[in-house]
Amino acid sequence: MNVEDPYEPELGSLPEESAGEGPESMETGTTSIGVTTEDSVVIATDRRASLGGRVVSNKNVTKVEQVHDRAALTMVGSVGGAQSFIRTIRSEAKLYEARRGTPMSINALATLASNFLRGGPFFMINPILGGVDDSGPHVYSIDPMGGLSEDEYVVTGSGMQFAMGVLEQEYESDLSHEEGIEIATKAVQSAIERDTASGNGVTIAEVTTEGVEIHSHEDIAEVL
Amino acid sequence: MQGQQQQAYDRGITIFSPDGRLYQVEYAREAVKRGTPSVGVRTAEGVVLAVDKRSRSSLMEADSIEKLHKVADHVGIASAGHVADARRLIDFARRRAQVEELRYEEPIDTEVLTKAVTDNIQQYTQMGGVRPFGAALLIGGVSNGEPRLFETDPSGTPNEWKAVAIGADRSEIQDYLEENWEPELTLDEGVELALGAMASTRDESLEASELALGVVETDTEYYRRLEEAEIAAHIEALDLEDEEDEE
Repeated sequence: MNVEDPYEPELGSLPEESAGEGPESMETGTTSIGVTTEDSVVIATDRRASLGGRVVSNKNVTKVEQVHDRAALTMVGSVGGAQSFIRTIRSEAKLYEARRGTPMSINALATLASNFLRGGPFFMINPILGGVDDSGPHVYSIDPMGGLSEDEYVVTGSGMQFAMGVLEQEYESDLSHEEGIEIATKAVQSAIERDTASGNGVTIAEVTTEGVEIHSHEDIAEVL
Repeated sequence: MQGQQQQAYDRGITIFSPDGRLYQVEYAREAVKRGTPSVGVRTAEGVVLAVDKRSRSSLMEADSIEKLHKVADHVGIASAGHVADARRLIDFARRRAQVEELRYEEPIDTEVLTKAVTDNIQQYTQMGGVRPFGAALLIGGVSNGEPRLFETDPSGTPNEWKAVAIGADRSEIQDYLEENWEPELTLDEGVELALGAMASTRDESLEASELALGVVETDTEYYRRLEEAEIAAHIEALDLEDEEDEE
């Protein structure tokens, strides 16, 4: 019938092998945070990559990438899996918009991401998707089996307990954009202090109706 | 000799005639003209689809004449031409609408659905060993609060309309629609315009049992088929207006 498979990307294909198996593949460990504010989404991550949890293999990783005009996705877990996944989601979003002349809604993007994780190989990733559309700001955490959960703020990665504690205390509905950046950065900072797999500063992605802006800071004090 | 050569251009659909025509596609359009007419009307309050389902015999079960189809919660399709061919396209559209739900968790946009269907129709004008679909469709739907009405033809060209007819007597019905369509019609007025258009080429009067009507309302974004009694009431309202005009 030539109807495309809803669980497969239209462009390319999902890899046959599971990504990120074996102790020597690069993992991000990571603290990754997504916060909704009154009219934007703020995503914050640390900047450390590690090998087998013992070696800091890179101190300058940007773990959040733009995947859509007004959405970004974080890399949590296997770096290879996350990079491949981001490339696929980005192409699908561009194809959708080119064909229809309107951008994908964030819920559609999240559903697509969930389908690819559920239907394809095991990517070993646990990303956060955040974006702004006509219905407002949205953040989702996506588990490695494709489980989607939307909330006002979400946290994934090895530092999640430490970061979650900060957000539980500080988060309120209808934060301003600037307050959102501050709270997300504080939460990453706490996780960096206590989680050995998180560190080396913070990367912030600001998602507004204008688009996505990503900037990194080795010194967290630059943001706070 | 010349005659034989010309004839050869309609043997396969993948063959252009020297003047750039695809005869098999044109013949398929003729097949559509042999079908009873279907009419679509777009109003601000929703889209109306009306089909003529007169049967050859009083013994035929009227419900078994399939010309008006629900495709998704928010989309209906009326067909003209070969019913069997139309059924294939309707099923394609139904599946495509559900793929959209599975893939993106969103109701499919009427334009996106139309183009998926016409892309499918187009394949049957270019592949070897197949023939084109001998059916035209009217695709009516509401997505994101916007009523839309599209027409597909056997070549796979999608066109959007304010009001349109396909099938037999197309040009006369289209004339009637062009004369009477207005941008500010209510849904009821849209239904009556569709019925009036159907009546404009019929010798005998309209019978509710020989018609099927479906509407997709802008407010609810739901496709709904009208009951026979509702159609009868609309026909009555039409007749009353005619009488008033005569007076």
